[in-house]
Amino acid sequence: MSHELRQPEDDDPVIMTVDERSVWVYLAVVTITSVAYFAVVVPRALSQPIGDVSWITPMLWAIGVSIVGTIVGSIFGSIGGAIGLAIRGIEPKGQLEGDLRDKDIKRLGDSRSALVSGAAMLGVLVLAMIGADLFWIGNLVFLAGTAGAFVEGVTKILAYRRGF
Amino acid sequence: MPPKPTKVTNRIRALRFECGEMTQADMAERLGVTRQTVIAIEQGKYSPSLEMAFEIARLFKRPLDDVFRYQQEDGA
Repeated sequence: MSHELRQPEDDDPVIMTVDERSVWVYLAVVTITSVAYFAVVVPRALSQPIGDVSWITPMLWAIGVSIVGTIVGSIFGSIGGAIGLAIRGIEPKGQLEGDLRDKDIKRLGDSRSALVSGAAMLGVLVLAMIGADLFWIGNLVFLAGTAGAFVEGVTKILAYRRGF
Repeated sequence: MPPKPTKVTNRIRALRFECGEMTQADMAERLGVTRQTVIAIEQGKYSPSLEMAFEIARLFKRPLDDVFRYQQEDGA
């Protein structure tokens, strides 16, 4: 059974490129893993001395799940996009892969992210200078990464949706 | 949430129809970009690079300022 795929007409729905799908996945995964991490670690930090709080294993899990989740989610998102187009009988070629606009949006998101992460790193430097517990240093680094990732994701989504 | 307008306006939609009702997908294919990018430019949500702007003008066989206009602060 063969189906002839057609080029999209102007009134066909606009689908997301692979890059935009990946941004949504990245934002969702980072938000979920960060919330889960802090939901585990904050109660521990409030109930016992900071030096005794076990935070390294949860953080490694959060980082690992973020990386794997983003990769796997992006792959499934791309496949889902192609299948969705094929079901509607639309040729996926030229609809999914990114172009100059995606690169411009990536550049914008990366620069905003670097700004946030960089600013937070100054706080890390201060903590190290005053000899703060490794818990605070490690967690501020994690928070800086999370905040940077969140700003990056939101910046990109707004650029895709509202323009820039 | 309303789209964030750029100061660059364009006549791409009208020009596409003048050029044999060229679809967004046709135009995207000729420019080597995605249909999403053509739509974003057409709706004023993305200002193309100077190079792409010239390519678009060339595609319609029009001078650049017949396709794109820069909106001044005073609305001129």
